[in-house]
Amino acid sequence: MAESHRDWLERMDAESRAKQEAFMNGIAAKLRRPRAVQAPEHPFRGAPDFWNGFEWPLEERIRKFMENFQAVGGHVARLPDLQAVRAFIADKAAEMNAKYVIRQNVAELDALELESALPEGARVSVWNRGEGEHWKARAAEADFGVVVADYAAAYTGSVTVLSAKDKGRSVSLLPTVLIAIIPVERLKTRLGEILKDFDRAGRENLPAGIHFISGPSRSSDIENDLTIGVHGPGIVYALLVG
Amino acid sequence: MSGAATAGSSVKERAKLALNDEFLRKAVKFTTERLRNGKKAASEQHGHWDEWRERGRQIRLHTIAHLDYYLNLFADNARKNGVHIHFADTGAEAVKIALEIARRVQAKTVVKSKSMVTEELHLNHALDSIGVEAIETDLGEYIIQLAGEMPSHIVIPAIHKNRYQIAELLSADAGETLSPDTTVLAGYVRKKLREKFLEADIGMTGCNFAIAETGSMVLFENEGNARMVSTLPKTQITLMGMERIVPSWADLEVMATLLPRSATGQKLTVYLSGITGPRRETDADGPEEMHIIIVDNGRSLQLGDPEFQELLNCIRCGACLNACPVYRHIGGHAYGGTYSGPIGAVLTPALKKNVAEWDDIANASSLCGACYEACPVKIPLHEMLIYLRRRKVEAGRGNALESAGMKGFAAVMGNAKRYKAALKLGRIGQKLVVRDGGIRAKLGPLKGWNTYRVAPSLAKETFRERWDTLEQEIRAGLREMDPDMKERMERLARERAEGKGGHGHG
Repeated sequence: MAESHRDWLERMDAESRAKQEAFMNGIAAKLRRPRAVQAPEHPFRGAPDFWNGFEWPLEERIRKFMENFQAVGGHVARLPDLQAVRAFIADKAAEMNAKYVIRQNVAELDALELESALPEGARVSVWNRGEGEHWKARAAEADFGVVVADYAAAYTGSVTVLSAKDKGRSVSLLPTVLIAIIPVERLKTRLGEILKDFDRAGRENLPAGIHFISGPSRSSDIENDLTIGVHGPGIVYALLVG
Repeated sequence: MSGAATAGSSVKERAKLALNDEFLRKAVKFTTERLRNGKKAASEQHGHWDEWRERGRQIRLHTIAHLDYYLNLFADNARKNGVHIHFADTGAEAVKIALEIARRVQAKTVVKSKSMVTEELHLNHALDSIGVEAIETDLGEYIIQLAGEMPSHIVIPAIHKNRYQIAELLSADAGETLSPDTTVLAGYVRKKLREKFLEADIGMTGCNFAIAETGSMVLFENEGNARMVSTLPKTQITLMGMERIVPSWADLEVMATLLPRSATGQKLTVYLSGITGPRRETDADGPEEMHIIIVDNGRSLQLGDPEFQELLNCIRCGACLNACPVYRHIGGHAYGGTYSGPIGAVLTPALKKNVAEWDDIANASSLCGACYEACPVKIPLHEMLIYLRRRKVEAGRGNALESAGMKGFAAVMGNAKRYKAALKLGRIGQKLVVRDGGIRAKLGPLKGWNTYRVAPSLAKETFRERWDTLEQEIRAGLREMDPDMKERMERLARERAEGKGGHGHG
């Protein structure tokens, strides 16, 4: 191939930019008006007003989150502090005979010192710490994936994780069991309280992956019979801390 | 059964296939009932449902009315995020771009998550033609891909297969016998596809929504395969209908409220992912190269058309399918296109905008309006079906007999004397065809109806003729119960109190 991959991408991008003009002009022509180049007035942006003021007090948020998360087959526990989280994970690892654990490379999880808490023979990998490791494979083989949630929403029973160098998307996706630690101050009532932060942050500051996780992976594709753990984790623990 | 998607050229013929398939009918009914009830419960529980619908409709109307602005903004922002954007006027163009990318990255396999657009483009077939294996990874899609069929429902594509049929397909795939147990079957697919995700060169996704202000693309799913497909392979290709835009993340909250509740009755799908560009420099997963192909393929034909522009508001939830009495009876394959149900009946011909190909799908509707009631963005589908019929007739493709019949109907109904005379004539005429109180002969205008049902004979007395008597009976009946009946009921009550009557649980 005479043309390098980079050259080809650049050529395609140039073509695409030219095409974009024609495409947008075509839309405007069909709408029978000149091209809209200024941001139009958007009076109906976001959720209805009655909804935006809605907020549960903390204890109610915790109760509703737990209720909703359990209703879709997730497991929940409310724990006082990180020491209790450490004991919880160690117990579960022993109970389920977990051999491979992968976790995000964040300070809260460093503090857990899982390596010394887990039963003999269990191995803990820390996402993207060190060179030359096939990180996706480490996540794919893991029995447990441990993450700290960036947000959670009580009304829908959702945990939010944002990707970063130290917080791989695979950690919450590939292991058989997902353990998400949620500091209670990150628990909101509505999805909208979380989403508005992404508008506020703006394009430049968004991570590549923003993932809301509301329970174990599921499918009803075979005779409408609910199956758990089709591709993503089939067992999900949400540990509310604080 | 594998020919169901292609056999038969008209809805009537295809529907006959579906109607003769007892399992399909039951399965479709079961699933759609369940989804419909789930939706009802979820929307009622959420409350203010009509306010949310109205808000959803306003956001979609606004975005489509300024589509050139928002789509342009999206494309510019996505590019700044490092995404390679492509525009395709036609399906063929979109396929060409996708194939060129596949060739350039020397792809051997493509793992796909559910995408109606790629179905619309028959992309799997095209990939196959250049020697690239395309693997559907959504459980239901994987099953029907093995069967060589098309999806029969937007949300549950393998709705028409039972677990035994599925076990057979998957056993053949596995080379060993798998028991017809849902967990076993799903477990097999999980294991098999794990390897495929990790070794595939390209991950291909659809796009539920695209956020103009940040250039992000959004996926709703339950299985996690869309996340796999957009996280593991080196190259990601997303096919996106040009109308999938919402302005902001704030607007996404409204869509996230409407879509899962309408589709499956869930408060939120298990996964909701917003993807903003390829992996960052230091990330250890996510695609290195990300392409978004923005597809027109007939969509822009609806722009500026006062009768059909609102079609572009559709968020592909499938609620209209579940609500539709016709869909629940004939199933998705009978519609013969990528999109089935009421939305398919309008969208398929609208995307083609080719009068000569307007099929008879617009007639596969009872115009009851259940689709409009179910639609989370209030698209008046039942009215659009009428516009379609009208346009078909205007284009001279109506049914001559039907037009004549309608004219005759108007003439008869417009005049009380003629109406009475016609009824009298009918009552005499039907003596030739009535058997056991019904008409089974497939004659003249009753041919279509009587293929599947028995037309009732004309009553000896018309409702109008009986009205006086009826009114008297009702009034008299309310006054006093028949003494014999009263006695029987009292006896029953006595016996029950004494423990007699043979219905005890002892």
